[in-house]
This record gives sequence, structure tokens and C-alpha cells, in this order.
Amino acid sequence: MESGLLANLALGFGEVFRLQPVTMWGVAFQQVPFNIIMCFIGCLLGTLIGVLPGIGPIATIAMLLPATYALQPVAALIMLAGIYYGAQYGGSTTAILVNIPGESSSVVTCLDGYQMARQGRAGAALSIAALGSFFAGSVATLLIAAFAPPLAEVAFKFGPAEYFSLMVLGLIAAVVLAHGSVIKAIAMIILGLLLGIVGTDVNTGTSRFAFGVPELSDGIGFVAVAMGVFGFAEVITNLEQKEHREIFTKNVTGLWLSWADFKEAYGAVLRGTTIGSFLGILPGGGALLSSFAAYTLEKKWSKNPETFGKGNIKGVAAPESANNAGAQTSFIPLLTLGIPPNAVMALMVGAMTIHGIAPGPQVMTERPALFWGMIASMWVGNLMLVILNLPLIGLWIKLLTVPYRYLYPAILVFCCIGVYSVSNSEFDVYLTALFGLLGYVFVKLECEPAPLLLGFILGPMMEENLRRAMLLSRGDATVFFTRPISAGLLIVTAILLITILSPKIRKKREEAFQEE
Amino acid sequence: MKRLAIVLCTMFAAFAHGQTAYPSKSIRLVVPFPPAGATDILSRDLMQRVSARLGQQVVVDNRPGAGGTIGSDLVAKAAADGYTLLMATTSTHSIGPTLTPKLPYDPVKDFAPVSVIAVSTNLLVVPSSLQVNSVKELVALAKAKPGQLNFGSSGTGTIVHLSGEMFRHRTGTDIMHVPYKGTQLVVPDLISGQISMLFDNIVSAQPNLKTGRLKAIGISSLKRSPLMPEVPTIAESGYPGFEASVWFGVYAPAGTPKEIIARLNREIVAALHSPEMKERLAILGAEPIGSTPEEMAHTVAGETAKWARVIKDANVRID
Repeated sequence: MESGLLANLALGFGEVFRLQPVTMWGVAFQQVPFNIIMCFIGCLLGTLIGVLPGIGPIATIAMLLPATYALQPVAALIMLAGIYYGAQYGGSTTAILVNIPGESSSVVTCLDGYQMARQGRAGAALSIAALGSFFAGSVATLLIAAFAPPLAEVAFKFGPAEYFSLMVLGLIAAVVLAHGSVIKAIAMIILGLLLGIVGTDVNTGTSRFAFGVPELSDGIGFVAVAMGVFGFAEVITNLEQKEHREIFTKNVTGLWLSWADFKEAYGAVLRGTTIGSFLGILPGGGALLSSFAAYTLEKKWSKNPETFGKGNIKGVAAPESANNAGAQTSFIPLLTLGIPPNAVMALMVGAMTIHGIAPGPQVMTERPALFWGMIASMWVGNLMLVILNLPLIGLWIKLLTVPYRYLYPAILVFCCIGVYSVSNSEFDVYLTALFGLLGYVFVKLECEPAPLLLGFILGPMMEENLRRAMLLSRGDATVFFTRPISAGLLIVTAILLITILSPKIRKKREEAFQEE
Repeated sequence: MKRLAIVLCTMFAAFAHGQTAYPSKSIRLVVPFPPAGATDILSRDLMQRVSARLGQQVVVDNRPGAGGTIGSDLVAKAAADGYTLLMATTSTHSIGPTLTPKLPYDPVKDFAPVSVIAVSTNLLVVPSSLQVNSVKELVALAKAKPGQLNFGSSGTGTIVHLSGEMFRHRTGTDIMHVPYKGTQLVVPDLISGQISMLFDNIVSAQPNLKTGRLKAIGISSLKRSPLMPEVPTIAESGYPGFEASVWFGVYAPAGTPKEIIARLNREIVAALHSPEMKERLAILGAEPIGSTPEEMAHTVAGETAKWARVIKDANVRID
């Protein structure tokens, strides 16, 4: 197995550094390391939007999806992946320096990171965030490389019944692990499921909820929903608030970590990485959940929990490592089973489909260069990001001073162009605007939009698998419990449900989320 | 007043078209399927060469949706001046009309055929765990276990589905149809054996055939394919006349002048007969045809009638 792993990694790195002829703007270049360049662009973009509050990886990936048509699938996926884990790095910068989480997963970093900045230790905070993230990213890449092939073999044993049970687990987990009110999370998921039903039923060919509109007969485009609810709504919300930011740029002198700081923090990095790697794989998991869990657990296990929230370096190291590990391992279910564990991966499923790749266990055997190339690019991307984030901090700071009134028209225009270019359809743009309005309503009602996207993507998949499982079992519903993997997944779901309903754990959960 | 009259006349003059040679500006070829699909790649490959011959760019405009009917409708209602064309296929003009009675266009009356570009066929593949090595053995197994074998498809009413129905009808077996959202999505379940057979695209099936996870036991064309000459046709495996292939052809809106159609036909046929084009099409698992407009009308009518019979026999309905 060892040589297998090395051979695969060699294939991957070969693909990442591959020189290929590229024609740009009518000029033909011969030897261009195109994939690396796309990785860099993805990481750069990711850091950029991570730093800028008000736009996140979901909206950006949704916006750039149509632009990747002309690219080779490998290059496109490498770039989009770079945006996701790059945003985790960028989000920490604003969290530490401005007390604004650039990314939802950087929320906990604000707590101790900003305090460290106020105490003049911004340099140490930024360093441990970047280095911890790099360590976590490297470990996660190795994990993916080592575990993906056996997991893919297991995946071939997955039939429709198993997929259905796994998706049920995913949806329930999304409820359990969502911010805020459980009722609202459930409501958003159900709304997402309903929106997902619109279109032509795969089993009978019947048109559902399309009201005779031909553009709806293939369903509502997920790009329209994603951009509307995340992109447009964010813009509308941000325009409502006045801008006032206190920025600690002058205190960023020593970017070096003292030995004492390192000794204190390395344990937290290891623990955060472990937690993140594990939680990223789970349905509903990813960067956000990992960072929260890591922070909470670090605080619990600490000998002086009262120092957390006042500038304890462990409070930065743990969540930062966890969110990077979680962001990367959340690619595992996508690349092996073809199932998105969270909203961002759901968009990546869309990206793969657009490029004619059916996500699933066969991707590894049918397109090994693409698979291992993506994995290798993650490690290379992490390396690039450490370089981007430490020395180039000054550049990112300057960006934070751009007034929003210049930023948002550009964002809106790019969103519209992106949505139109998916199917050359004006109808899609109107639809996006509608969802933008809807997204704004959600913000006002304090409803999380991410469960909606997850329900929207997973719902139709769940229905398809449920009915197919019933077809194959000739109408026997006990198939979900008689097949061992499916039964196991449903038992875990039941445990999760009990967890969420038990009052003691509900209280703890509210405590954890209260710290914003 | 005189000035006004002169201005008005000049304005109207702007609308007068001189007898400029066709084509005098770029032509739009509507492809009613998403980019990077077989229809799209085929269209782009061909139009690159046709553009060179015509001296004007032929631009591919993807208008996917509703099984190809959105794009087709667009061209049906476009101006018949030869500057808007459609790349149609079996599902838009042969199967679609029978399955969807309420189509917004008439596939025969609203279009003028230009040429059939290519034809592609499907391989009948089974999982390697299934103990059959030929069509005969498969049919025998299906008859020994009625209702237990099934076939996957890329959706109700697609050619993959209807090929399976035709197979079922001809062989008299009791196999169940299990629809998916695309042929590639059937593959994992096919490999694990939950699905017994699939009419898969000859090219996309190659990786799994090479690794031995799937076996090809028949091909749905009348003649063996040069890509896989060792695979017998289903027709020669005991079911003469069995043919399920997909045609790709170019249409112009009805009423397009005959000279324009003749010119387009000439350039398309010439582009198709180049050796590079043959190679490009082989990569997609297709064979170039290049028929005349009359032949195209004849082919499409024949295919429509054939699939209409299959649909009726199998009682396939879309509500």
C-alpha cells in the first residue's frame, strides 16, 4: 500500500506541475505550468474574499463556476478548491486585526485573536494562525491521499439504500450543527427540499412545480439560488449597515513567533488538526463546525479556561488548525462517494457535473490524474497560502480600507454575468434577483441560508435514491435496515437526533454558539 | 418638408437588403444541450472547419434545457435567413414529438433539413460479476429469472431507455427499467451489480472495460464498430434488424431559401469527409454521414416512426 500511496502522490504532483501548451488572447504559449497558476489564482482569490467581509467562498465559487467552462476540468477544480481553503486563511487576518470574521469559520478566532492584537501580539497571532493552518492542511492532504482509495472501495458497496441513509444523516447533522435555532434550521432545510423538487421527476418524467414554464422544467439552477441567497443578499444586508472599523495595522511588527509562544501553542495545533480532520469528513461538517468544536474543546481541556477570550494563543491555534483541516477533509466524501458534506462541496459537485464528470467512486479509477492532481494541489496551495498570508499582510490590510460603495457594484455585476453565462438565459438572472430578495428576508428573520442550500442539493438526491432503492428491492421498505451499512448509518442518525433533542446537550450547544 | 422626405427615404433605405452574398455576417448554430456534452463537442469540431470554408464564423450558442426543446423552439421561431441554425438529435426531433404532444414547435413543419452529420451507437454492457458473456446467455438468464434483472438509463424517454425497451420487447424478457439522471450515474451501481445491464456510450465505457469491471456483450448498430470489432452486434446475435442509434443533424428554420441550404449542405459534407473530422468523430464514438436534405428528411421520418412504435409497445408516457 505504501508504494501505492507514493505512486499516487507522484502522479498528483506530476499533474499539478505539468507543463502544457496554452493559448491566451490569441497567443500560443508552449510550456506553461497552467495548473499551478490556477492554484495560485484560486488561493489568491480565496485569501482576498476571506479578508473581505461580506463575500465568502460560496458566493465566489458560484460566481466563478461559469467562467471555468473554457478550462480543463483539472484546472477548474484546482482553482475552485483553492478558493475554499484559501478563504480560511484570509478570514483569520481580518478576525485578528479588525475583530470582524472574514469567514464564518473565523468567528471564534476573533475572540482571542483580536485580544492578542490589542495587546500588541498581532504578529504572533497571525503567525500561529498561518503556521497552524499549514500544518493542518498538510496532515489533511496526507489523510486524503491515504484513506481515499480504501474509502472508494467501500463506496462501491454503497447502493441507493446506503446513499439515502447517508444523506438523511447529512441533513440531520446539518440541523444539529447549524447556528442558532433548531426550528429555523429545519425550516430552511425543508424549504431547500421543496425548491429542489421543482423540475422533471427522473422516474416518471412528470413535470413538478414548473407551472408550464419551460426554463423551470430542468429545475431551479443551483447557481441562481447560491448567488442570490449568498451573494445578492449579503450585498443588500451590508448596504444597510454603516461602516466603522478599528484596524490595528500599526501593531503588526514582529511576524515571528517566540519559542515560548510556539511551545504553548503546538499542542493546540495538534489537537485542532485532529478534530478538524475528523469533523470535516462528516456530513454537515467542514471548516465551520471544526473551528467551533476545536475552540470549545480546547477551552474545556485547558487548566486555565478563564484566560480564553482574553488573548490566549491556544484560542487562535486550535480553531485555525481545525478549520483548515476540516475544509480539506470535507473533500473526501466528495471525491470518493460523490456526496457533498456541506454547502461548498455541493457547489463543487455542480462544478464537476458542468465539466462532464459524474462525481462518485469511479472518478478515482476513471480519472486518476484529475483526482490525485486535486489532492496534490491542496498541499501546494497550502504552501502558497503561507507565503501569501505572512509577508503580504500589508497588502490585505489596505484592501480593508476600500469603501464598500466601490466594492458592491462590482460584486453585483460579476454575479449577474456569472449567472447569465451558465445557460445564456435571462430567466436565470431574474431568478437570482428573486432569491437575493428572499435571502435578505432570511437575514432579517435570522435564518441561516446554508441549510437551505444543503437541503436544495441533497433533497432531490435523497428522493432519487429512496425511490431507486425501493424499485430495486421491489417495494420492500425494510431494505434500509437489512443492508448493514445502511442500517449503521440510520442508527447514527437516530443517535444524533436523540442528542439534539436531549435538553442537557441543547443547553451546551447554545452556550457554545453564544460566544459570538 | 423636402428635407424630411429625404431623411425618411434614407432611413427606409437602411432596411433594404442588397443582394449580398451569403454568408455576409457570422452564423449562429444553436446547440440545445449544455457545453462539453457530445452534441456540443461535435458541433464545435465541425463548425470550426465549416467556418473556414464559408469564410464567416459559425458561433455555437448553447441553449440547454427541457431535453433540447428550448433551443429547438428558439430556432423554429427565428428568421429564415440562414443565419440561425440548429444542431438537432434523436431526442429533439424523433423521440420528443411522440413523447411530448404539447411541444411548442412542429418538428417537421417548422424546420428545413440541411444534413445528417453523424450517427453514434451504444454498447450493451454488463457487470463482470454477471455470469453471461453474450446476448444469448443474457437473454437465457433473464428468462430463467423473470423480473429480477434490470436495465439502467439516463432518464425516462431517453434513447438509452428506449433502447432497453426495444431490447426487452424483441427478446421477450421481463426486465425492469431503473432511470437515473445520466448514463454515467448508472455506472457505480452497474459495477456493484445492482443494475444488470446498460446501453452505454462506446467511448465513456472504455475505462471500465479496460479495468475489467464491466463486459461489453453487444453493440446496438447494424454493423460492428471499428473501435471494438470483437463485439458482435445485437442484430447478429439473434435479433436481425435490431438497431438503436443516435443521429445528429443540422436544421434551418422552415422557409430558408433553397440556395442557402444547398450551400450549407455542400460545405458541411465537404468538412465531414476530411480525415481529421473522421478521427474527431471516432473519439466521440460516432461515424460521419453527410446526407442531402432529402435524405435527412427521410432518415428522421424513419427514426421517428421506429421510436413511436417502441414507445407505444412499451407504453412509455410522460405526464
